[in-house]
Amino acid sequence: MSDVSKILNLFRSELIVVNVGPRSFAEVLEKQGYEAVQVDWKPAAGGDKKMQELLEYLGGYE
Amino acid sequence: MQVFVKIQKNRYIDSLETLQQTAVLNEQEGIETGYVGMATAVFKEVIEEIGLSTDEIQACSEADYVIVASAESKEAFKNAVKAITSDEKKESETEEKKYYGSISEAVNDHPRANLCQISVPGEYALAEVRKALNAGLHCCVFSNNVPLEDEREMKELAREKGLLCMGPDCGVANINGSALVLSSINNRGPFGIVGASGTGIQHVAAILHEAGSGVSQTIGTGGNDLKEPVGGITMLMGIDALEADPETKYIILISRKPADSVLEKLLARIREMKKPRVVFFMGCDRETIEETGSIYASNLDDCALRALEIIHNDYSLGSLEELKEIAKEAVKDMAPEQKYVRAAYTGGTYLDEGMRTMWEATGGIYSNAPLYPEYKLESGKEIQAHTAIDYGEEEFTLGRPHPAIDASIRKPAILKEAADPSTAVIILDFILTPPGHMDPCGYVVDDIRKAQEIAAERGGKIAFIASVLGTTADWQDIHKQEAELREAGVYVCRTNYRAALLASEIIRLRKEIA
Repeated sequence: MSDVSKILNLFRSELIVVNVGPRSFAEVLEKQGYEAVQVDWKPAAGGDKKMQELLEYLGGYE
Repeated sequence: MQVFVKIQKNRYIDSLETLQQTAVLNEQEGIETGYVGMATAVFKEVIEEIGLSTDEIQACSEADYVIVASAESKEAFKNAVKAITSDEKKESETEEKKYYGSISEAVNDHPRANLCQISVPGEYALAEVRKALNAGLHCCVFSNNVPLEDEREMKELAREKGLLCMGPDCGVANINGSALVLSSINNRGPFGIVGASGTGIQHVAAILHEAGSGVSQTIGTGGNDLKEPVGGITMLMGIDALEADPETKYIILISRKPADSVLEKLLARIREMKKPRVVFFMGCDRETIEETGSIYASNLDDCALRALEIIHNDYSLGSLEELKEIAKEAVKDMAPEQKYVRAAYTGGTYLDEGMRTMWEATGGIYSNAPLYPEYKLESGKEIQAHTAIDYGEEEFTLGRPHPAIDASIRKPAILKEAADPSTAVIILDFILTPPGHMDPCGYVVDDIRKAQEIAAERGGKIAFIASVLGTTADWQDIHKQEAELREAGVYVCRTNYRAALLASEIIRLRKEIA
């Protein structure tokens, strides 16, 4: 059996969602009455996967 | 008309937003056809097909944002572009809301945040999930096309940290009463669900809702969780969590048949469960499930009904006899050449269920995602004898939102199928969800009426059969949606399984007549 205390904590807490992706997903959560925080994601390094990996390795991409 | 283009290099706009912008663009005066999107391979293919491609666009990279339209003048195009971009501006001017550039920034400002919903292209998912888990957030990952080794890595990290990692490819999860991603809004109640099929979870939860009960939590694992390389990590953690959750009195487990080694591990865990549970693992026999002390379910409808039996709720989805009566009525005005079923599904779970249910009556169904390889169609645009198409397949959705959100993906199917005189039955499924189309059934009823006119001109009548997945709490309201279809002469069935049973009855009657 895994330690589920953090999951039970989630079930007991007020749900606050960080949404990484389309803004409309955050908007519909707010409309349902939940707090949603929007992260406007875009591909790092203009979508260059190699450059993204490199930046991540160097700690320059967050 | 002339084609005009506006390109913004290295500007990322997500596909839901470009979908809305395309709709706005096409409404503008002086615009014949327009399209907005990131210059992906699929985007380039689409604009090629609709005659809007230019060398300039073909030379763009995936990181470039493109607005293209055939317009009567440069002025008209400029105004249309302004209409799209001024909408953007208005939004940012009126809203005081803060948008963050990264998960860590967001969590710094909102330290009580507890769940991260991630919908980025699959190749980028692992990086974002890692950041979310390291920030202490449970994850619901909608991204698909995530490599299995990435999925394994994110789930192992989640397990190590004691956090829930739902997905990748998790379309349905209801946590603390919310409808995440593409879920329906459900009543809360005593049933906890863990499922590897989003549609499966949504289906069972919707019946529980309609029957007056509800769900405590629903945990989507993503369709690959029970495959060998992932090993069922999320399903096992989900079971542990729901077993320990005091609000969950009963547990429902849903999946296609798990990989053999995973099934063994899973059955061992299920055997130890203390709470009453219903298990539907498609393709697993009754004995295997009952041997674990669980209640066996033979399909999704049965799964919901068995669960309701536990709480002595005798909710019924209707009888086979009722469907037989409807079938008799449906075949009355058909022309002699009408003999085939044509189904247009928005996703794989219902496609599979539909084809299996109709297999015997039809004697085989061609598909872009068939049950057997010899029934494979080259593309979802083909029709051959009995045909069922999954409009959620990549050929239709690459670079576009899911058909539950973008209803225009499946819309052309109705008139296309109706144009063929051998079509006897057209099956449609509809899915309700907060980010989805606000009136998905109303959106197609004109096409359904037009299809009937076409059939009538040929001296026939098409049997339209539909099912709507959703609840009365969904903003689109399932009862309202069903009523719109009924008004257009559609036979509305309570579930997809019953829709397929009705179609089977109609095909049997057509064969008898022939």
